[in-house]
Order: sequence, then C-alpha cells, then structure tokens
Amino acid sequence: MFRNTHLTDRLAKWLPRLVLTPSMVMVLVGVYLFMVWTGWISLSSSRMVPHYDFVGLEQYIRLWSTPRWHTAVINLFLFSFLFLAITVGTGLIIAILLDQNIRAEGALRAVYLYPMSLSFIVTGTAWKWILNPDLGIEKVVRSLGWESFVFDWITRPNFAIYTIVIAAVWQSSGFAMAIFLAGLRGIDNSVIKAAQIEGASLPKIYRSIIIPMLRPAFLSVIVLLSYIAIKNFDLVLAMTNGGPGSATEVPSTFMFSATFRRNQMGVGAASAIMMLMTVAAIIIPYLYSELKESRHAD
Amino acid sequence: MNKLKSAFVAGLLVAASSLPSHAETKIEVLHHWVSESEVAALNVIRNALAEKGYGWQDSAVGGMSGANAQQALRTRLAAGNPPAAMQFLGYEGLDWASEGVLRNMNDMATANGWQKAIAPQVLPFVESNDGFFAVPINMHRQNWVWANKKVFDKVGIEQPQSWEELIADGKKLKDAGIIPLAIGDEPWQIQVVFDSLVADIGGPEFYKKAMVDLDDEVLSSDTMKHIFDTLREVRGLVDDRFNGRDWAVATGMVINGQAAMQVMGDWAKGEFLAKGLKPDTDFLCFATPSKTPSFLFLIDSFGMFYINDENVTKGQDALAQVIMDPKVQRDFNKIKGSIPARSDVSVDDFDACARKGFQERTEAINDGAMLGAATHGFASQPQFAGVFGDVAARFFVTEMSSDEAVEMLVDGIDNAR
Repeated sequence: MFRNTHLTDRLAKWLPRLVLTPSMVMVLVGVYLFMVWTGWISLSSSRMVPHYDFVGLEQYIRLWSTPRWHTAVINLFLFSFLFLAITVGTGLIIAILLDQNIRAEGALRAVYLYPMSLSFIVTGTAWKWILNPDLGIEKVVRSLGWESFVFDWITRPNFAIYTIVIAAVWQSSGFAMAIFLAGLRGIDNSVIKAAQIEGASLPKIYRSIIIPMLRPAFLSVIVLLSYIAIKNFDLVLAMTNGGPGSATEVPSTFMFSATFRRNQMGVGAASAIMMLMTVAAIIIPYLYSELKESRHAD
Repeated sequence: MNKLKSAFVAGLLVAASSLPSHAETKIEVLHHWVSESEVAALNVIRNALAEKGYGWQDSAVGGMSGANAQQALRTRLAAGNPPAAMQFLGYEGLDWASEGVLRNMNDMATANGWQKAIAPQVLPFVESNDGFFAVPINMHRQNWVWANKKVFDKVGIEQPQSWEELIADGKKLKDAGIIPLAIGDEPWQIQVVFDSLVADIGGPEFYKKAMVDLDDEVLSSDTMKHIFDTLREVRGLVDDRFNGRDWAVATGMVINGQAAMQVMGDWAKGEFLAKGLKPDTDFLCFATPSKTPSFLFLIDSFGMFYINDENVTKGQDALAQVIMDPKVQRDFNKIKGSIPARSDVSVDDFDACARKGFQERTEAINDGAMLGAATHGFASQPQFAGVFGDVAARFFVTEMSSDEAVEMLVDGIDNAR
C-alpha cells in the first residue's frame, strides 16, 4: 500500500517529463540542430552538396552583392509592414463591428474566418486570376461600362508586390479578427458600463480603454502574422512565381532557388541565416518586453 | 533411384540459379517525366528493358523543371540509398560524376562505339576525363520559332531572315491587330529569346565566349549592348498581359491565331500536333533568324549510380545498352517530339520539323554553330546561367537601359564565381 502510493507519486512526478521528452528531442534535432547546421554550411564553400570546410563570411559577402537578394529584402520589409498593419487594422475593425450584438454573428464570423482554411496555394491561384487584367477585376469593371478602368498591378514590376499583400490580407484578416474578438469577449462589461456612466463616448471608450486592454491579443496576432510574413513562399510562388522578372522575389524563394536550382548551397544557407536573424531581431525584444511586463503585472 | 535423385537435385539447382537473378531484378530510375507523352516515350525504354529480363521501377518526381527530382536525389544520396539510374540535364551529370558517385561506363562505350555515334559537342555532358558517365537518349533544339501560317499569309509575311526583318514583320502584325510574339514573364522564357539573340547577332564564336567562357570583355562589349537593345525591341512585340503566362498557354495563343509567333524549344511542337495541325500547312517551324543559323541543343541523359549489388549492376548495363539502342532512340523520340541523341539514326519517318532539325543539326555541326543551350544549363553552370536569366528578365519587364543591363551582367557573373 505504502509502496504503491510512492510509485504513483514518482510516476506523477516523472510523467510530464516522460511525455514531453519525445517532442523535445524532435524539436531539438529537427529545429535547433539544423539551425546550427545551416549556420555551419553558410560559412563553408558548399555548392551542390555540403562541404564541411571554412571560408569565413565569403558567402555572406556574395549574398549581399546579389541584386536579387536586395530586391528580396526590400520586398520582405514592404510586404511584412503592409501585411501586418492592414491585417491588424481590418481584423480589429471587423472584430469591433461584430462585437456590437448584431444578428447572425455566428454566421458572419464563419464567413470572415473561412479564408484561413484555404492553403496559400489556393489563395494565390485564385487571386492570380482575380487580378489578371484579362480575366478578373479589370475586365469585370470594363464590361460594366467603365472602359478606361485600369487595375493591372500584377503585371507591373513596381506594383506586383502589393498584389501579394492584398491576397495575404484577404486570407489572414479573419484570423486576426477571431483573436481580437476573443479578446473583446474577455473584457468585463462593468468596465465599459462604468465608463459610460462617467459620460465617455463610445469611440473614446474603445480608444482609451478597450484597445489598450487588448494588448495580449495584439501580441499573439503580431507574432503569428510576422512569422506568416517571413515564411511567405507558397503565396508568391502561386501568384507571381517571383515575377514579373524577379520583382516579387522574397528571401524564402531566393533561398530555395539558390540552394536547389543554382548550386549555391552556401549562399542559400547564408540567406536562411539572415532570415533567422531578422526574425530574432524583431521578435525577441518584443517578446522580452511583453513577458517582462506581464510578470510585473503578476 | 539414385540417378533420379541427382537429376532432381540438378534440376532444382538450375532452377534456383536461373530464377531470381534476372526476372526479379528491378532497376529503379529517378526522373522528372510525368506528362502523358513523356510517360508514353519512357514505355519504349521500359519494354526494351523487359525484353532483356529486367524490370523498371519508376520513381517519377515531377515539377520545377527537374529541381524537385534533384532534391530527391540529394536526399537519397545523403541517406546512402541512391537510385540505380537518374535523369540528368545540363551539368548535373558531370557534377555528380566529379562527386564520385556515378559508374564509369567506358568499357561499354568503347565496345559499342558510342563516342562516334554522338556529336562531339554533346560529349562534354556525358564524358569526363575519367570516362563515360551518362547515356544520352534525346536532343531538343531550343531556338525554334513557331508561327501560325494562316496569320502569316493573311498579313502577307514570309519567314524572316534576320531579327530586323522579324521586328519589322512585328509592326505589320501589330497593325493587323495580332500580337507578334507570345511569351510569358518567367525568366527562363525570356532567357530562351536572349540565348537566340546572342547566338544569332553575335555569332557562334561570340556565344561561346559570352555564355561558356563568361569572358568579361565580351559580356560588356558593344555587341552585347546591341543584343540588349534588340531584346528591348522584341519586348515591343509582346503584349502587356504576359505575367504568369505558361509557355504552353503562349503556344496556344499562336495556335488560335491570337499571336503570330513564339520562340521556344521543340517541346512546343507537341501542342500543335495534339490539335491535329500539320507542319508547313498549318504552322511553320524555323530556326531563329541568323546568317549562320545555330542549333542550341539540350539533351536528357541517364547516369548510373554505384550500387553494391551485382544484379543491379548488370541491370544498369542492360539499361544503358537499351538507351543507346538506335531503334529505341528512334521510337522514343518519335513520341517525345525530340530527335535522337545519336547522330546516326534515320529520322525519315519523323515529322517535317524534326527532319528539318535533324538536317540543320548536321549543317550547324559543320558551321561550328552547334552550341549548348544556356537557359537549360548546357553552356555554363546553373549559378551563372541563372544570372543571365535574372538580367534578361529584369531588363525585359522594366525600363532598364542596355548599359545598366551589361553592368549588372558582369557584376552578377563575377559575384557567382
């Protein structure tokens, strides 16, 4: 009897670790080990297959003197900034509007959330057709009578990246909305009532009370969306395939073509490490400040 | 009784020794041919291999012009489990041979006189200093112009003899409301035009110095600037709706008369033939115009990997022999739309375009104008070929000047070295 309790106790102590170990090992090997490996390759002279020598920062110098990489980096920042700003904005507005005790809210919520269930390949292909001047919006508007209407961004090298933003926003706004909506539901009604009694107008209540209270929701949305922005690969591939020319190249497509199509594994690894460092530079300070504050709040 | 017993044992032994070695051995072939005509063409090889008593284990990895298959191969090699045979394009075979993973087939090549059966320009892609490492099955020509004959007749133009003529014809076509040239914005499609311009305007020697030797002086020469200027004029022949247009869609535009011409390899021919159109009466095929018409070739070849199994090795030998068999090459290429890699196979019963290509290949070999197609990796290694594609495509879709393009080209090549 005594022995048994002892065993259960020990099991209870060890069980969490036992259960977590396999996934821990997989993450360690599958993610962190290969991060280190990629870093090592980026310092080697690898071309077609990995070579384990050391050439210093040669591949990084090569990477940064490639014009296509500059295009990719500029595109990544343009895309991420616009995608984050617009998606967070639309998501928040839709969430606030849905939160006004309207009819058929459940159905509307599903409608907005539904694009999230599509893969980026499907979204990209659909938007490629919608934005194609000969098939999509431009043609429809013209056939309605506005003959001079022009919307051919996807064919223009300087504007094509914005069409990818449009498609990505369409897909992800509903997701942002869902998180904001959950955050809004978590806010105690009495706070709002108290503010109303004090005579605050509804816009002011939202601006000064509710939106600041949504801070945790903002954290989740921004972290999740920025990783969608940086790993963006399939959407570009499906919509423009990096074109016109190489105008919509992003770091992930650059990395793929360097590593697997151009025998430049070292340059590919260097670009992957640059991406990793970019993510780290943005996410780590943000996470740090957020977590620190929440700890203080406790 | 004793006799009967020994006869029985002997019979068993014979059966045991003859059974498993042949019929059971399957040769795994990793390739990226997945379209209907490609699979049908592969069946020619598969059946010929079956006659020799070996099975064909199909490992098709389609997509990304073979890049996915290359990725699969890397994974397999890293795991120490290579396929028996692999399809190669461009320098892939040579690269793997220098990694020391490919079998040397020199004995078979010498015994069967393969070196003599193949054009000398092709040899660098199947033979290194150490010997024969791959067997070529087919040859495509990259620099064809495919034209709609009815459209040509309607506007009253003939096959152009130079790029100036072609561009001038383009103006007439535009006036008649027809798109002169169908193309997509994918870098490789633009590069196909660029390769032709380099060979046609610069000439074979210039092409070799620029695309193979990557000579800085030649790359920044006035001729190269003139080539970019011509590419700018070619841009004027193309409509503005070319983004994301697949090459086959562009071919479709020529077929239905929306566009007049397309510059594309002879895989485009299949699209015409599939619609029941006839060469010379419904559509025209001719080399991109030049004083000395060039033949920009690409080949598909198969290399054999070292595998520690005697049966597989024998099967690989059988596969190599089958691929180099003149009859197999003829039947395969008739279906695939290309021409045999062997120069000594009769193509009398091929279609008119293939016969023309075969004939012009002989002329081009004599003129020294048989050249590797740069876009498909038969002139320089992929890291350099990619730079040509980047610059040509960027030039094509933007307003870049030819001076800037040449500068970008030289810098890009330098950087990739």
